[in-house]
Amino acid sequence: MKRTFDAIVVGAGPAGSSAALTMVKAGLSVALLERGNFPGEKNMFGGVLHRLTALEEYFPNFWEQAPWERHIVKKNLSFITPGSSFTVSFDNEAADTPPYNGYTIFRPKFDNWLAQEAVKAGATLLTRSTVDDVIRENGKIVGVTLLRDGAELRAPVVIAADGVLSFTAKKAGLRQAKFSTAQQGVCIKALIDMPKEVIDDRFGLVREQGASSEIVGNSSGIRGGTFIYTNYDSLSLGMVLELGSLEKTDQTPYGLLNNLMDQPQIAKLLRGGKLLEYSAHLVPKGGYSMIPELVGDGIMVAGDAAAFCIITGLNLEGINLASQSGVLAGKAAIEAHQQQDFSKQGLAHYRKSLEESFVLKDMKMYRRTPQMLHNDRIFSQYPELVCGVMDEIYRIDGKPKETMTKLLLRKVKETVGLKNLLADVYGGWRAL
Amino acid sequence: MKINLDEIFDYTSFNVDRDPHIKLDEQICKSCDQRSCVNCCPAACYSWDEENLKITFVHDGCLECGTCYVICGKDAFTRWRYPRGGFGVSYRMT
Repeated sequence: MKRTFDAIVVGAGPAGSSAALTMVKAGLSVALLERGNFPGEKNMFGGVLHRLTALEEYFPNFWEQAPWERHIVKKNLSFITPGSSFTVSFDNEAADTPPYNGYTIFRPKFDNWLAQEAVKAGATLLTRSTVDDVIRENGKIVGVTLLRDGAELRAPVVIAADGVLSFTAKKAGLRQAKFSTAQQGVCIKALIDMPKEVIDDRFGLVREQGASSEIVGNSSGIRGGTFIYTNYDSLSLGMVLELGSLEKTDQTPYGLLNNLMDQPQIAKLLRGGKLLEYSAHLVPKGGYSMIPELVGDGIMVAGDAAAFCIITGLNLEGINLASQSGVLAGKAAIEAHQQQDFSKQGLAHYRKSLEESFVLKDMKMYRRTPQMLHNDRIFSQYPELVCGVMDEIYRIDGKPKETMTKLLLRKVKETVGLKNLLADVYGGWRAL
Repeated sequence: MKINLDEIFDYTSFNVDRDPHIKLDEQICKSCDQRSCVNCCPAACYSWDEENLKITFVHDGCLECGTCYVICGKDAFTRWRYPRGGFGVSYRMT
């Protein structure tokens, strides 16, 4: 086996494969390392694949090339309590024509497809290859060792795209040694078998249209959210739970998900479904302040490894940021080869191009959002408030009606409190 | 429909390695009064034995999510790494 390359990419997820693809297209020899039996084997997400503008140069007709389940035309946002739900639904014709804005996908299929595209373009994909450590010479990273047999792979530049815990970035001294529990959420997901026609009818869809639902509430007060995504003939139901909030309770992630599946409005959507697969993974939810050092001597960090993830409650972005950062890291590596300078200064262009792209611009814009979402009221009292108000507006019980103002004020006082509401509106405005 | 983790091997696939990829220092776990790993692990790999004051970790059904790595406040791991190449959880769809 060849042991020396122009670049090594650790992790064949969306960030790593995007980086590898970019570099091999420019003629570099690239080793793309994957610890699973195939790329995507270890990967799950609680999200939608957003449009990957970074890859449109390589896949001009992405929607005809990539394996996806449904394209998203309908976005639902719900507040739920144990017995009621209030939903805002946005169904958009403009999202029904290519280039589609977002897709539901299966990661083992999609990630494998993208990695194989890099292979077709010339990348050397090494599966079953867990990285053990980085190789350092004169303070510079010059390669990695593999856990399998201690094999050494060498390259003047390494891209760490090995996911949320990035041990490669840790061993290179680029990420904090210990994460705080407030910075990480655990995503758990149940894949539920359901015939296509049933999904179409229940969610109001035709053809390959898909819906994504974000749901707040009924999580026993734990900071987190629920999602339901329609695949072609299955549903993805899951939750993202902040670890710092979960650890303060004696609740279990699967207990909370089971509880949710019994919530009457959710249960109606799931009726008749059968569990196909259960999965879990951490989500870097700490935002801008969680971003590690992105560049070191001979190394760059991309994707989840760099904490590139945006969670606002309305938008959940990750793969689009991962692929964009992968492409930019790949371009910085190409430039470093041209200049034959792989030092931190030589690779500094990576950080600069991220700052000029939507990746760091958006991460920066939403820097206050993680703090805003550290507000326990959002996850229990606001859903109670919204559903409580709706209940009284619609209820006919022979009693005279209150004015809307009186009703709202009374409900606010019963749930969040007026002062908190004003503070939260201000905080929410600043954060979003 | 219910997620019953006793039946996890019926719906999620694994190539179980003989050598666990996570190992604990029992003495540290014994002195821990948090034990967040027990309720936070989404695959219920950790259990607390009140009689023998012992945490047991079973790696067979580990989803490699990383929760325990972050949640453990005692740094009780003598080893925390991903399984050797080719071993561990193997998602088919998800």
